[in-house]
Amino acid sequence: MTTDDPTAPLDPVRRLHVMAAGIRGARVTEGVVDAPFDRVWSVMGDLEGEFGRFQPDMRSVRVLHRDGDRLAALARSRYGMRARFDGVIRPGWCWLQSRFLVVGMAAVADGTGATRVALTGGVRVPGRAALVPLGTRREPRLALARLQQRVDGRA
Amino acid sequence: MADPDERSRGVALARAARRGDTLAMSDLLDHLTPHVGRICGRICGPAAAAGRQDAVQETLTAVFRGLRSLRDVDALYGWVRVLAVREAVRVARRDGRDTPAELAALPSPGDAQLAADIRDVLSRLTPEHRAVLLLRDVEGLDERAAAGLLGIPEGTVKSRLHRARTVFRRMWTA
Repeated sequence: MTTDDPTAPLDPVRRLHVMAAGIRGARVTEGVVDAPFDRVWSVMGDLEGEFGRFQPDMRSVRVLHRDGDRLAALARSRYGMRARFDGVIRPGWCWLQSRFLVVGMAAVADGTGATRVALTGGVRVPGRAALVPLGTRREPRLALARLQQRVDGRA
Repeated sequence: MADPDERSRGVALARAARRGDTLAMSDLLDHLTPHVGRICGRICGPAAAAGRQDAVQETLTAVFRGLRSLRDVDALYGWVRVLAVREAVRVARRDGRDTPAELAALPSPGDAQLAADIRDVLSRLTPEHRAVLLLRDVEGLDERAAAGLLGIPEGTVKSRLHRARTVFRRMWTA
């Protein structure tokens, strides 16, 4: 699915809302980054680089292998925990899942030259589609602010 | 979506999603979105891209909210279809009755002008008439299945289809 195609059945940000609707406790933080989609996604999708600089709980990510849009990665949180994530990444969409954590990101061009982005994630509840959000309610907002800064830094 | 392998894959993803595998949910979303998009596109029409996205989003939201309580996972596709038709008719009704219908997904008769003419006539039908014509005459569902999808009695499908065909014929020959 292209991210700026008005005929696409479901853009990635709407898609993230659908995922959150099916996961009890998932919160979606949505905002607009004032930059074109390609520039924004070059930051959001840079898992081994920029990702750890704007996400609140990730310090570093190492991609172990990729096969098309599927990937496996080793992540280290700010609190020192390490986890192996499996997931999918493609322009505008990233969904990563470890045994204990979920990270979801989406972005779509908003038609005015800016980019609408959405984030979700948290600690998994075993045996069911449910999450307990990590950190405070402010943290995803701070992540969006940091994302804007990182994008501006690439201008 | 008629391919048995594809259906088996969808059902397997739905089972994994019900167990809390969110990556399976993401895959299930990939799997169902084109199917739901086609149904909603036919009813909402191509000129209503935002409306179609609304209908697709509402459908898939209902699917994901209800997935855990779905009694028979093997009935996934029928259930998704019911939700898609219901949401598409609701959104088409909300957005007005004059949005054109999508025929791009139908088998081509090899005559672009004919397709355009049919599209033009369908565009002037109400969403209810368009939905019943597409389900009965294009998708080939029987009255019972169409009634189940549209949430109306079989008798109403019959009378509504009769009216829709009459209106279609009148417009076609006008």
